[in-house]
Amino acid sequence: MYELFKNLGTWLTSGANWTGPDGIAHRLAEHLQYSLLATLIAAAIGLPLGLLIGHTGKGAFVAINLSSFGRALPTVGLVVLVFLAGGLSMLPVYVALVALAVPAIVTNTYAGMTAVDPDVRDAARGQGMRGHQVLFQIELPLALPLIMTGLRLALIQVVATATIAAYVSFGGLGRYVFDGLAQRDLVQVLGGAVLVAVIAVLLDLLLSTLQRFLFRHRTA
Amino acid sequence: MNRRTLLGGLFAAASVPALSACASGITSLDSQGSASGGGGSSKGGVTIGTANFTENQVLGYLYAAVLQQAGVKVKVRPNLGTREIVIPALKSGDIDLLPEYQGALLNYLAPKDNSAEPGTMQNALTLAMPGGLQVLPYGQAADSDCFVVTRETARKYGLTTLADLAKQNGKLVIGAAPEVKKRRVGAIGLKDVYGVEFKEFKSLDSDGPLVKGALKKGDVDVANLFTTDTDIAANDWVVLSDPKNLIPSQHIVPLIADRKADDRVRKALARLGNVLTTAQLTQLNSQVDNDKKDPEDVANAYAKQHGLA
Amino acid sequence: MTIDWSWIGDHTDDLTSLTISHLQAALTAVFFGVLISLPLAVVAHRVRPLRGFLLGFSNVLFTIPSIAIFVLLLPISGLTRTTTVIGLTVYTLVVLLRNTVEGLDSVPAKTKEAAKAMGTRPLRTLLTVEFPLALPVIMAGVRIATVMSISLVSVATYIGDGGLGQLFTDGFQRNFPTPVIVGVVLTILLAVAADALLVALQYALTPWKRRRA
Repeated sequence: MYELFKNLGTWLTSGANWTGPDGIAHRLAEHLQYSLLATLIAAAIGLPLGLLIGHTGKGAFVAINLSSFGRALPTVGLVVLVFLAGGLSMLPVYVALVALAVPAIVTNTYAGMTAVDPDVRDAARGQGMRGHQVLFQIELPLALPLIMTGLRLALIQVVATATIAAYVSFGGLGRYVFDGLAQRDLVQVLGGAVLVAVIAVLLDLLLSTLQRFLFRHRTA
Repeated sequence: MNRRTLLGGLFAAASVPALSACASGITSLDSQGSASGGGGSSKGGVTIGTANFTENQVLGYLYAAVLQQAGVKVKVRPNLGTREIVIPALKSGDIDLLPEYQGALLNYLAPKDNSAEPGTMQNALTLAMPGGLQVLPYGQAADSDCFVVTRETARKYGLTTLADLAKQNGKLVIGAAPEVKKRRVGAIGLKDVYGVEFKEFKSLDSDGPLVKGALKKGDVDVANLFTTDTDIAANDWVVLSDPKNLIPSQHIVPLIADRKADDRVRKALARLGNVLTTAQLTQLNSQVDNDKKDPEDVANAYAKQHGLA
Repeated sequence: MTIDWSWIGDHTDDLTSLTISHLQAALTAVFFGVLISLPLAVVAHRVRPLRGFLLGFSNVLFTIPSIAIFVLLLPISGLTRTTTVIGLTVYTLVVLLRNTVEGLDSVPAKTKEAAKAMGTRPLRTLLTVEFPLALPVIMAGVRIATVMSISLVSVATYIGDGGLGQLFTDGFQRNFPTPVIVGVVLTILLAVAADALLVALQYALTPWKRRRA
C-alpha cells in the first residue's frame, strides 16, 4: 500500500512523465478540452430548453424526469453504439458526455425558473412587459444562481466521466486508467484517477467560490 | 456471463483450498514437468478464462466443448482482459485454465529468454512457470503477432521487413493494444532488435475494430495484428517480415492450474491440440467476427464436426 | 446500422441471465450502500466536526472514475463479482450518505424537541420520528443510487463482469451493433422499472402524505 503511494508520488513528480504526447500536461489539456467543450454544447442545448420549460410551464414533466433518464443511460453502451454507427472519431465521446450533462443543466435551470417569486412575475407583467422581456429581464437574472449551479454540477460530472474517451482510443486522463489496466500498471491507473479527482475538486471549488462572489449581494 | 457461471466460478475458486490440500504433495514436482501424471482433479469443475479478443474466446469455448465431452463440468468466463490481468487471476484461483500462446507467454514470464523453436520454448516455459501453474503440450495451430502496413504505405516507404521501419524513425505512427507498448513482442523489442523508434504509439485494441479502423483511415501507419485475421488478406495489407526472429512461433498452449490438471483434462486438450489447424482456427475467427456468430456456437459446431464432442 | 432481430430471438436465454446478473450486482450495491450510509449519516448529522469531513470525503470519492476504482480493487478481490459490488457500493454510498444527511437535516428542530420533551430517548426519536420524517429525501436518494448503480454495472465489463455491459464489449469487438442496442435498451428499461417500483414503495411507506392529499 505504502509502496503504491510512494510510486505514485514518483510518477506524478517525475519530469519525464509530464512531457510528450503521452505526458501528463498533454493528457490534462486534452481532458479539459473534452470536458469544457462538452459542457458548452450541453449548455447550448440545455439552457434554452430549461428556460423555455420554466418560462412557459409546459413540459415540466420532461424537466423533472430528464435527470432520471440521463442517469440511466449507460455511457459505455452509448459510446460503443455511436462508434459503431459513425466510425472512429470524437463524436461518440461528445454524444455520451453531452447526454450526461444536459439533464443536470435542464433540471437546475428549470428549478431556478420555478423558484422565481410569482409575484415578481406578475408585477413585471402588470408593468406591461412582454413575454420575452419578462424572461430575459426578470426570470433569467433571478434564476441565475441555480443555473450556475447546474452548469457547475454538469461540468464536474463531465470531468469525472471524460475518461471514456480512452475507451475508443482517444486521449485525456482516461488514457492512464485504460493503459494502466491493460498493462496492469496500478501506479498509472491510480495516477489517472487521482488527477481526475483533483481537477474535478479544483474546478468545483473555483466555480463555487465564483458563484458565491457573483451572488454575494443576494439574499438566500 | 450468467449468474450460474459466476456462482460456479466462485465455487471453483472456493474449492481450491480443499483440492490443493490433497494435491500439495505432488504439486511441486508437477510444476517441473508438463506431462507428468496425476496431481490434480477436475472434479469440482474447471473455470476457463479467456482474454479480450475474439480468437481467445473461440479457443476457450473449444476447450469447454472437449472438456465437457470428457465429462468435466466447465464454466467459461469470456473477455476478462489482457494477459497482464488474466494470469494473476489464474494464479489466485479466480480461473483455472487459459488458452495461451507459447512465444507471448514466454516473453511475459521470462523476458530475457530467446528461444524461438516450439520444442525449446515448451521447455523454457515449463522452467519459467510460477508455482501452481503448468503448460500442457502445445497444439499444432499457431497464431503470431505481426506488424502490418497498407499497400500504399509499403510502396511509399519501401517497406518489406521490420528492419525497413528503422529507416523511417520518428516518422511513423504505430497502433496496437496498450500493453504492447511495454512488451518485447511490441514496442520494446522492435526498438532493441531492429532499432525502430516510432513517432507515436497509439493505444488501440488487440486486433479489433479500433486498430483496424485506424489503419484503414490512416490514423496509424503500422498496426499490430494477428496472423489468423482474415482481414489482412481481405484488405491487401502487407505483413512485414521478421528476419531477426523477434516474433517467436506462437503455438497455442493450454495454461492450467496444477490443481485441475488431471488425465481427463490432459487427454481432451491434447486431442484438440492435435486436430485443430491454423487454417481452421482462422476460419472460426472469421465466422465470429464477420458472420457475427457466437464463439460458443462456432466452437461447438467445430467440435461436433471433428468428432471431438 | 441495422438490428438483427433473429439474434435477439436466438439469445433470449443469455439476455435473461445477463439481466438477472446485472440487477443482482446493482441491488446488492444499493443494499450495502444503505446499510453503511445509515449509521454514517446519523454520525454526520449529529457530530458537527465529522460532518464536513464525511461529506467532503465522499464528494471527492464521487469524482474518481468508476473504471479506476474497479481496476484498483483487482489486487484486493480479484476478477470476481465482489470487486464489482465493492466498486458500485462506493458510489451508492456517496449518494445515499448525501441524501440521508439532508433528510435528517430536514426534520424540524421543534419536532425533535417535542419528542424529547415527551421523554423519548434519542435512539427511539431517531427511529420513530427522525427517520420516518426524513424518508422522502432518503427515498429520493435510494432512487438516484439505484438508477445510477444500474447504469454503472456495465463499466465492470472491463474487468470481466458487467452484466448487460458484456453486450457492449462483445458488439464492439465484432463490429456488431445489435447486442449493443439491446444492451442499452435493456439497461434503460431496467432502470426505469426500478425507479417506478421505488416510487411505489415510497408512496406505500409514507401514508401520512397520502391522507393529506
